[in-house]
Amino acid sequence: MAIPTDPTLAGVAAAPPADVAKADVEVALESLSQWQLAWRRFRKHRMAMVGLGFFAFMILVAIFGPIIMPFDPTNIPGTTNPAGYPPSLAHLFGTDTVGRDVFAMVVNGARISVAIGGFSMLIAGFIGVVVGAVAGYFGGWVDNVLMRVVDTFFAIPLLFVILVAAKFFGQGQVISLIVIFGVLSWPLIARLVRAQFLSLREADFVEAARAVGVRDGRITFRHILPNAIGPVIVAMTLIMASNIVLEAFVSYLNFGISANQTSWGNALANAQSALGLGNWWWAFFPGMAIAVTVMSINFVGDGLRDALDPRTRL
Amino acid sequence: MTQYIVRRVIQAIPVLFLISVVSFLLMLSAPGGPANQFNQNPHISAAQINKWLQDWCLVQNPTPLDTVREYLGWLGVWNCSGGSFLSVHGLPNFLPAFLGGGTNGILHGDFGYSIETGQPVLGMIYQRLPTTIILMGTAFVLWATIAIIAGVIAAVRRYSFFDQSVTFVSYVLYSLPTFWLGLILIFIFGEALRWFPVQGMVNVRTSAAPFATQAYWQSFFADPIPNIVDIASHLVLPVVTLIAVSIAGDSRFVRSAMLDSLHQDYVRTARAKGIRERQVIIRHAFRNALLPILTNLALEIAFLFSGAIVTETVFSLPGMGRLYYDGVENSDYFLLMGILLIGSVLVVLMNLLADIAYAFADPRIRYD
Repeated sequence: MAIPTDPTLAGVAAAPPADVAKADVEVALESLSQWQLAWRRFRKHRMAMVGLGFFAFMILVAIFGPIIMPFDPTNIPGTTNPAGYPPSLAHLFGTDTVGRDVFAMVVNGARISVAIGGFSMLIAGFIGVVVGAVAGYFGGWVDNVLMRVVDTFFAIPLLFVILVAAKFFGQGQVISLIVIFGVLSWPLIARLVRAQFLSLREADFVEAARAVGVRDGRITFRHILPNAIGPVIVAMTLIMASNIVLEAFVSYLNFGISANQTSWGNALANAQSALGLGNWWWAFFPGMAIAVTVMSINFVGDGLRDALDPRTRL
Repeated sequence: MTQYIVRRVIQAIPVLFLISVVSFLLMLSAPGGPANQFNQNPHISAAQINKWLQDWCLVQNPTPLDTVREYLGWLGVWNCSGGSFLSVHGLPNFLPAFLGGGTNGILHGDFGYSIETGQPVLGMIYQRLPTTIILMGTAFVLWATIAIIAGVIAAVRRYSFFDQSVTFVSYVLYSLPTFWLGLILIFIFGEALRWFPVQGMVNVRTSAAPFATQAYWQSFFADPIPNIVDIASHLVLPVVTLIAVSIAGDSRFVRSAMLDSLHQDYVRTARAKGIRERQVIIRHAFRNALLPILTNLALEIAFLFSGAIVTETVFSLPGMGRLYYDGVENSDYFLLMGILLIGSVLVVLMNLLADIAYAFADPRIRYD
């Protein structure tokens, strides 16, 4: 899609010497790198900045929350009220039916939920980039085989596979869930990277690199990939958002994180049974945490889409 | 054209094959495995177990070669009871039974037995099908209609208040976890306001029999109107839950497809000819935007399947998604393999149909 017709934007830090020389002449006016330009564009996107701020805050909560406000799901204080206590100053988000503080649940759940979303995104990004790059660069039967695999992933409803994989191989472990979510969500990235490669491998600067005898691997990773990275990063934000939601659903069904740990999905696991008692806060607040986090990630993704597209100008 | 269709069909074959491998491996590499699960079920007699184990080439601790044999037997290429690729008639086993092939395996419509209930998998799926079809069908029609109307209006009145509200609402809805939206709707409209029932497909107190049984259909056709009202009231919340999240993404897709189309030369020509704006939008712009929109909708059928699991579990609807959930809970391998396979094959076929329809509708598509 984004064929860099403008060589000033084609070169990232890792651009080939020929490109850098050319780029230096033309960018001299501003002397900003592509990433600096992208950051300038990103800053103009107000919702993206709000999203980034909130997301950074959530990362802090995920790291420090469990230290400041420890929560042990096996510690059951009990209540005098069968529906649990509604939100109050003592319990900001109320309590569940057995008296556990929902606010502490949300704060502690952030760590596992964000970790699963983030790390599975990295795994998916890595596999997707490698598969897509190999398919797009080599083409032919390699491409054909890899793309049929990708088609297969797209045809099987993801949730079906994830439920089975989480139940049978997850064992309630965070690490295994990260691997499962990562290994199952890369095809989107692979397809994107491949499409970028198909258009970029015919580009003049790749032709030039090939002409001076640069090896395949180096062309792939130093010349083509930096130019294809924009849409990939955007897609990765989408995958992180959707994996946070998927984790929540899988854990809500008790197939995900084991009951003695806390994630946002886990916090929701038995909340449905309390709705009939009038306890809405137990279901509401962990879900809001998911929704707001996912929304902020989506806003960041939207900002990145504009910022990383070399065709958008300031 | 014919060449294109043949090419797409040929491309679909390895995908179908890979789907069967994935469904099979996912289940058989799972801890326990079907052979052990059968043994643990007290409802099934030893004789039955032995017959199934033999019919399906299942062994307790399979070697890699056994696993390949299990897969081929499950597929129907290998004749398990005969122990060869040939059927009892001496012909290749994968042929249909009436051509002298075998009778075992999914190629012959034999999806095996539920480990939990001992019933044929296909029959169990068949019984749950009406719920899922009604749920997904209603959702799909409403979803496509609303997304298209909202997207088209938003594109025509770009940057208007309506457009901005659609964009904003899309962002919010798009970020909501489907199941959580279901919980919130259950609380507001089911528990607090008591407008709609929150569980099941029919009212268990007033209906003659459980949904989709033969007795139910008899009473249904004897007096359809109250039964339809009953089902409809049970479907309101699940359908809203199922479509809210998907509509968000799609209305944005429709909007951008429509914006593309509105900037084309033929739209300008139509306006220049003095055609009324309404006609320009519907006849010229929308009809050309329709193609990518329809393809996109077809691609989302897979998501609708995933969404069906979510809504059916949250609202306890007796559909395929709920059956799948129960299957995961009970490690009911053959049931899971069957649903996974049927669901994925349906998605492949839908996408294939959409591609072919697209090629027919859009004369610009030519392929090499």
